[in-house]
Amino acid sequence: MHSPRTAYWFLAPALILYLAFVAVPIAQVVGYSFFSWDSGQLDQFVGFANFARLGTDSVFWAALWHNAVWVVLTLAFPLLAGLLLSAILAERRPNTVRALAAIYFIPRTIPLVVAGIIWGWIYNPIFGLLNYGLDILGLGQFAHAWLAEESTALFSLNVVGAWTFFGFCVVIYLAAIQSIDPSLYEAADIDGAGWGAKFRDITVPLLRNSTLFLGLYAAIEAMRFFDLIWVTTQGGPGYATEVLTTHVYKTFFLVGDFGYAAVLSVVLLVIVLSLASLSFWLLRSR
Amino acid sequence: MKPTTRPIQTLVLAIFAIYSLAPVYLVVLASMRSEADLFAGPLTLPWPLNLENFRRVWSESGFSTYFWNSVVISVSVTIIVLLTAPLAGFAFAKIRFRGREVLFALFLAGLVVPAPSVIVALYGNLQALGMIDSRLGVILPQAALLTPFSVFMMRTVMQDVPDELIEASTMDGASLIRTFVGVVLPVVRPGLMSLMLIVFLFSWQEYLLPLVVLQTETLKPITVGAASLQGRYGVDYGGIAAAGLIAFAPLVLLFLLLQRSFVRGLSAGAVK
Repeated sequence: MHSPRTAYWFLAPALILYLAFVAVPIAQVVGYSFFSWDSGQLDQFVGFANFARLGTDSVFWAALWHNAVWVVLTLAFPLLAGLLLSAILAERRPNTVRALAAIYFIPRTIPLVVAGIIWGWIYNPIFGLLNYGLDILGLGQFAHAWLAEESTALFSLNVVGAWTFFGFCVVIYLAAIQSIDPSLYEAADIDGAGWGAKFRDITVPLLRNSTLFLGLYAAIEAMRFFDLIWVTTQGGPGYATEVLTTHVYKTFFLVGDFGYAAVLSVVLLVIVLSLASLSFWLLRSR
Repeated sequence: MKPTTRPIQTLVLAIFAIYSLAPVYLVVLASMRSEADLFAGPLTLPWPLNLENFRRVWSESGFSTYFWNSVVISVSVTIIVLLTAPLAGFAFAKIRFRGREVLFALFLAGLVVPAPSVIVALYGNLQALGMIDSRLGVILPQAALLTPFSVFMMRTVMQDVPDELIEASTMDGASLIRTFVGVVLPVVRPGLMSLMLIVFLFSWQEYLLPLVVLQTETLKPITVGAASLQGRYGVDYGGIAAAGLIAFAPLVLLFLLLQRSFVRGLSAGAVK
């Protein structure tokens, strides 16, 4: 209905910006991954030689595993919590809903850097609130140096991630619940169904699309996150909280191994883009 | 409903409210205590409020500068995105042109690109452009990284603008750009508001780009400042808490004041 030429003028500013600072660098990264590097300079084409190093890089596999664990933990805790909370909230007064949704959402507005600092204190083994609380409850034997022990670090950080994420899930689920036909619940009431039965048989199935969206969103975010780890553990203790993004950062800025940093970036990109196409396809096909 | 169900549900709601707010309260509390009584006394705020820590980090640890840098960076990014994304979103939503699908897919792909995976090439490019250690070196890449989300959201918003409205205007002889500015933008003002808030929020929260691009202390934004304060004075908890509060208070206030716009923006795409 309008001159197509105008469309390109409308697109140009956003497209140029995007190409210059995102798309072109991505193409470069892919190119870099096929070269050997000598003190920061492109050296020679080596084909897939850089990629071959992935096989023996145990830190890479540990990082990938941690990313995967992060996805599972996110699906298991904040997503489920969001589902449950929004189902409960749906039956409350509008003012209550608005107030609680806002409260649950506040952590997401806090920069992850600051969230990391705050929770670093809560987890502090000496004066941290968590150990203090356990002590008061007479559970002192469960106290840990939460972020400094390999067995607890990743899990403890995930609680922080969940803290910033569950409110988002509540908001998304609430929007979807409000579009469920109330007569479904009324019919269930007449049949004498309890709250749990209605939750299981009506709410959960009808929220499948939101669950799918949030699940894929969480999976992609789990591959992308960096700030939280970097300000708390920087991947440690040892490699216990290493993830792909921190591995890329260290390989590039600390080791200066440009070719291999490019390889890791490519792997990261391939994973997120596959997840994205999967989501696009899944969400579109319904 | 069984008589016990509702109280249990209320308890669940309350527990999560505490999970949400307790860490925030902890920071507020720590920010108003002096070193000496940080871990003593009841968990209530001192009265009158003790703002000594704020004064100290604000004027002595450079937080007025960090704060100002965050404002400059976030506002610049927001302006750039507001100048580019609505135009692109409109083109994708309302104009048929060759390559539309391909170009849109290109933007869609950018939706998930992690900043750390671009940095390996971006860093060298910024060096070549002389943008390392300059605000522009943070602002432009950050605006670019937010472009896919913004274009996607704007396309969704623009799709709801009635075609008749646009046609009526162009039939009267107005050019498409005049129609866009005079007719379309006023209609989508709530969408623009959401976009503005989200972009501001995301760029205020950004950490990695300024961390690697900026070296000069007086250019760094508040996220980098807060993280470095943690390292510099590892034991100044009151100071770090005050710094953290300065870093997130503007965002929390913005969100509480404009909750509806925020939520609409963040859930854009989730519903479609």
